[in-house]
Amino acid sequence: MKRLRLDRWTGQLLVARPGPCSAATPRAALRSAAMCRCTTVRNQSTAAVPQIPQEDDYYDGTDHTRFSPLEKLPPRATSLPSPPPERALQSAKLAALHARLSLPEKVPLQTLARALVDASADENPQFNNTNLAFVGHTLINYHVGEWLMCRYPRLPMEVLYAAIKGYAGPTALHHVARSWGVEHAAAPGGEVDPGLLQFSMHKPGEAITVFGYKRAEYEGLKKHHWRHGISSRVVFDNDFGEIVHTEEEEEQMRARADTEYGNEYTRTLAEAAYATCARAVVGAIYAHTGREAAKAFIKAHILSRTLDLSRLFSFKKPTRELSLLCAREDFEPPVARLLSETGRMSRTPVFVVGIFSGKDKLGEAAAASLEHARAKAAMNALKSWYLYSPGEHVRVPSDMLAEDARPWEPAYIDIGEIIGR
Amino acid sequence: MEAIAARPAVSCCRSAVAAGTGPRRLLLNTTSAGARQKSSSARTRRALNIPPHQSFLGFNSGSDGATRPTSDEIIFNPPSSAPSVFHTPFKFLPPSDPRRRANLASELFASSTHNPSSTSPLSSASASEATPSPEDLPLAGGVPPLKPRHHLTKEDIEEMRRLRAEDPVKNSVLNLSRQFQCSKLFVLMCCQAPKEHREKIKSELEQVKARWGPRRRAAREERHRRFAMLFNGEL
Repeated sequence: MKRLRLDRWTGQLLVARPGPCSAATPRAALRSAAMCRCTTVRNQSTAAVPQIPQEDDYYDGTDHTRFSPLEKLPPRATSLPSPPPERALQSAKLAALHARLSLPEKVPLQTLARALVDASADENPQFNNTNLAFVGHTLINYHVGEWLMCRYPRLPMEVLYAAIKGYAGPTALHHVARSWGVEHAAAPGGEVDPGLLQFSMHKPGEAITVFGYKRAEYEGLKKHHWRHGISSRVVFDNDFGEIVHTEEEEEQMRARADTEYGNEYTRTLAEAAYATCARAVVGAIYAHTGREAAKAFIKAHILSRTLDLSRLFSFKKPTRELSLLCAREDFEPPVARLLSETGRMSRTPVFVVGIFSGKDKLGEAAAASLEHARAKAAMNALKSWYLYSPGEHVRVPSDMLAEDARPWEPAYIDIGEIIGR
Repeated sequence: MEAIAARPAVSCCRSAVAAGTGPRRLLLNTTSAGARQKSSSARTRRALNIPPHQSFLGFNSGSDGATRPTSDEIIFNPPSSAPSVFHTPFKFLPPSDPRRRANLASELFASSTHNPSSTSPLSSASASEATPSPEDLPLAGGVPPLKPRHHLTKEDIEEMRRLRAEDPVKNSVLNLSRQFQCSKLFVLMCCQAPKEHREKIKSELEQVKARWGPRRRAAREERHRRFAMLFNGEL
């Protein structure tokens, strides 16, 4: 285990450490929190704590003789929506998470603690992770998008959207955050361990972390299932090609308070909170250590995941699409030929059909009937067209931002999809 | 030195099937005649005790006849499996791709380089027999579409529309396609039957469907659903 060297950390909270009322030590943190316990204004930096005359201790109604506190809390901690930043230095969970992720030493524990506070737990944007998550969301989607564009330049837009969602969507990031060992508190509050993810099931969180426009025809889309093509999805919808529906979201937020414990909706909320946390960690790394470290982190934790792109495809008329492709590219028209077969008259026949264009075989598949084999072979041929890749270690545009980058060679760009969807 | 034998099992199977050389045919005859049954475990064991495949031999035939490969030899003999869609066919590679340049020679001169490289006349003959050109393979799923001839003029198409509107029963799609020597799809693209004729056809179809029993209906629905699953990649 690597030793954490507190003296080499940077951060807003640690700048004023030598001062008399800084929170570099737990005792100092307690003292400074005690000093600001009766103020309504919360300060992000303890260096800016105003000098308040001492008053009587705040009583939050807990019977401390029966329920003795696990650790000594700052007096007003229970009345705060999220743990005060100075408590981050005391949390073993937070230090363990920092070490486990091998975060750079420049990322302070206080920022990591802030990345774990969802907007639903603390509405104050100076104390929750909304801003960090916005930066992280942008960075993750940019890197995933450019990597997919360069690695698989012929992907249809729908499959590209699905692939971006598979890498950077809320479900994937939820799994990433879980794999980091992030655990969540049962309920948010100032007294919980800062190393726990905090989100509320009952309070709405006003966190805007996605791009996208509200569609004027949203009612018609919802009611009459109007067609909305891929081009309008590129313009209007969010990064995953999904309609931004703010009103429905607000309704769900309002209904949040009434949901019972542990249903599908609360699981969605937890998933979103975990995803926001993962994005906020990326945003924190970018804010403290810069572009290269954030890119390396995204590559290590998000792009390294395995996603089988060949399973994202869905076709309507594969044979027709393939013949259109061959006509567009001036290939000979595709012909399905039977490569081998067994048990034609039996209960379980197998036909192996290959699709040829001239003398070249484009695709091959085995199925239990001739029609299925033909359609499957056409699908395989189309998939091998769409999944063309220039190479495994393809260069992406953000590689050029490095200091000693080689001159850029233009990436392969396909002329477009075969049929509009 | 590295020696890679790419899929020799395939060529071996092909030669076994296609060539049918002397000793093999003899063996097949004896087994098919049933002269010696595998009635005992000893005979079964002896029958199943076949020598290892050629690809596992021959690399290192030492003085003691040891067939163990040395460390710098790679035996590449994968089991038969469906080809991966991530392997782009040569035809689908863009002109700028370096793989295209690397494979161009082998693609262009495949037939000319294949025969001299083969060691024995038997294997070359069997390989040429076993890898027939795609034109020799039987078609799967109907005749391929004919090349469009573009021989119909605008007047022809007007005439076709007039005939179809005049008497849609007599001038059916099939009859029109025969008369104008074009495909049925082209006739369908050009003209549309009158509305009453379409409704009549539709009601006839409904009547036919109404006569279907539960089994036929379920079978058709299931077939339809299976195709949908196939297109979603679930089969």
